[in-house]
Amino acid sequence: MLKRNRRFIFGGIIILAALSYLITGSMREAMVYFKTPSELMADEGASKGKALRIGGMVLVGSLEKDLKKLTYRFRITDGVESIPVYFHGVPPDLFSEGKGAVIEGRLGEDGVFQATTIMAKHAEEYSPPKDGEHAATRSFVPDQKERGR
Amino acid sequence: MTATIGYASILLALIFALWGIIAPILGARTGQNGFFASTRAAITGQFILVTLASLSLIYALVTTDFSVKYVFFNTTRSTPIYYRITGLWGALEGSLLLWEWILIIFSGLVAWIYKDRHRELMPWVLMIFSIVSAFFLAVIAFASNPFESVFPIPADGRGLNPLLEDANMMTHPPLLYTGFVALTVPYAFAMAALIIGRLDDAWIVTTRRWTLTAWFFLTMGNLVGAYWSYHVLGWGGYWAWDPVENAAFMPWLPATAFLHSVQVQERKQMLKVWNLSLIIIAFSLTIFGTFLTRSGILSSIHAFSSGPVGIIFLAFLAFILLTSFGLLAWRSKQLRSQPELDSLVSRESAFLLNNVVLVSALFTIFLGTIFPLISEAVAGVQVSVGAPYFNSVTVPLFLLLVFLMGVGPMIAWKKASWDNLRRNFLWPTVASFVVALFLFIWLVRDFLPLLGFTLLSFVVFTILFDTTLAVRARQRIAGEGVFSALVTLARRNQRRYGGLIVHLGVVLIFLGIAGSMSYSIEREVTLQIGEGLSIGRYHIQFEGLKRSQQPTHSRVEAAFRVFNEGHEIGVLSPALKFFPTQKSPVGRAVYRSTLIEDLYIILSGFSEVEQNQATLKVLVRPLLAWIWIGGFVIALGTIVAVLPSRRKLAQRA
Repeated sequence: MLKRNRRFIFGGIIILAALSYLITGSMREAMVYFKTPSELMADEGASKGKALRIGGMVLVGSLEKDLKKLTYRFRITDGVESIPVYFHGVPPDLFSEGKGAVIEGRLGEDGVFQATTIMAKHAEEYSPPKDGEHAATRSFVPDQKERGR
Repeated sequence: MTATIGYASILLALIFALWGIIAPILGARTGQNGFFASTRAAITGQFILVTLASLSLIYALVTTDFSVKYVFFNTTRSTPIYYRITGLWGALEGSLLLWEWILIIFSGLVAWIYKDRHRELMPWVLMIFSIVSAFFLAVIAFASNPFESVFPIPADGRGLNPLLEDANMMTHPPLLYTGFVALTVPYAFAMAALIIGRLDDAWIVTTRRWTLTAWFFLTMGNLVGAYWSYHVLGWGGYWAWDPVENAAFMPWLPATAFLHSVQVQERKQMLKVWNLSLIIIAFSLTIFGTFLTRSGILSSIHAFSSGPVGIIFLAFLAFILLTSFGLLAWRSKQLRSQPELDSLVSRESAFLLNNVVLVSALFTIFLGTIFPLISEAVAGVQVSVGAPYFNSVTVPLFLLLVFLMGVGPMIAWKKASWDNLRRNFLWPTVASFVVALFLFIWLVRDFLPLLGFTLLSFVVFTILFDTTLAVRARQRIAGEGVFSALVTLARRNQRRYGGLIVHLGVVLIFLGIAGSMSYSIEREVTLQIGEGLSIGRYHIQFEGLKRSQQPTHSRVEAAFRVFNEGHEIGVLSPALKFFPTQKSPVGRAVYRSTLIEDLYIILSGFSEVEQNQATLKVLVRPLLAWIWIGGFVIALGTIVAVLPSRRKLAQRA
């Protein structure tokens, strides 16, 4: 009886070890820290190459876009520091200068943040447009879901 | 007026629910049977009143009675009647009422079906139902009232989120809720058995079919949700590991584990505590899911709004976990069983391993879902755990699960001899190695997909091989044809063959996931009229933009002529829809689905200023359609498994 129990405990330990290896390994790769531009500038060296989310505002006057090539260059700011960002793709509808945005990607060696995803901040509640504000001028999909499977 | 009727019904129903909780306790104290008998009346009363309340909210929605705040927020005068009805679960308050309604329908069904059976158990089963029902009724009445009024009465309503205006809206939430709520049935039986201390297998046999029913609705609810995400949300995917998707998926895992481990208990009297725990966990996860969805602590497209409701659910969750596991600990002496496995190579241990894998998957998904919350609360660090985490932890676990799916149903109970192993697995193994070799030479070079496809073919071969042997035997003995032999086999052992069909469905779903995960290609470009793009075997040419006015919105369609290896296969027109009540447009992606692959086109933007140009994203996703086909196969298998058997029908006649 004792022997059997020991076997169960042994098996359990192996399973637990495998599982925690799996979890910690995947977690380290997939965990994305959220930082503000100031926090990023404070430890720029350590942040290079890590997956990050940067929250802030698109600096007014910084946006250069090439609609043909779908490339976007802009600076994201928290009012104190600002970081140059490069993005290739289609940003969400609510993305524009002076608006809040969360960008996900990695800080490159040249100090330019290479964004893989842009998430525009938008209200959870759906509210109708105010007078004079019309949808017809917008031309991007509203919700770019993060790519899963 | 309707709102008053609705609200009054909720309050009255709450009184009935409270009586349903007190009556069995009084019955046990005084020994009078009248108290026990009245628990049925308490359920019937709740059933009538909650149905009345639900119907009055539907009536208010259909007649666009804007004096009701909920109606104001979820319909407009121009909303088609179909979406006025689905407005019932378009927002928090209504969906809680729908939940309660389904719960009380299930309670009523249970009370009616078992009116002459389980005399000792039933009052307590119904008491558990009344506790859960009382909780929901109290939330509806005092924290999240769908009958709240507005004054002055608005002229028109705000309307549903346009993303919810889709035919699947009719099926996806009710299916999921039904799955969630149906898990209350095994939970109620398990708790009742613990309370009165009758821990023989009666409650397990009774609840097996209910658990299968719940499992079926959960499976379908998740699949329809994935289909909806693919069909409507227009991002080209079907599963994002969004916290709310996880919340809907998590109860499925212990429910699946239970359906397997319960067979070990039936046969070997093992795993009693384990099975009870699985039921408790599955039920708790449905409450946890509601907490996650409705508390607004996680930002998600599904999250309705924040409010006190989240905290109330958390408190209820704590209450359930404490009392359930407390009861379990209290009765633990009676539940002791001999945890003896005769051999590691046996069906018991395959089932045990299947349970370990499923619970591990649950644990990893749960951890990934709540990790951002813990991190922010404990360390003050904001992190997010994205899809890559979930993919890389679940893929190895699910591959192991697929392997067990091939082994489990065929391996012998107790101890599998070499002879048994060779008979059942030699040819399937050889055949799947041949498949692997062919795949490696012509198609698949990467390790994980190759392993995945090989294991999937292994499962199919084990099932085909086993069934072929059985059919041959019947042909020999009874001289039947292949088809009638199959029917006889399935009839004689519905659970087994229903289960095997379900396994085939799961294999098809995994096939679709493996193919679409590993070999998708996508491209994003801006095209001018006449320009084209090549992706995979396709060539897509931009033909022009078209504006049109629809009853509820205006839309811009972009026409793309699609060629498959030079042959024209038609025009696909993705669109952007502009609703007058919404700030931003809603995308309408289009796709062409074949058994080999899906071609998915999303219109991301357009410009009519500098010539006509369109920005689009195109995806080619191999084998994706098999996910939906697998869903139909699972449905078929479940029907085979739960249909009343011939023997039972004969008994009734």
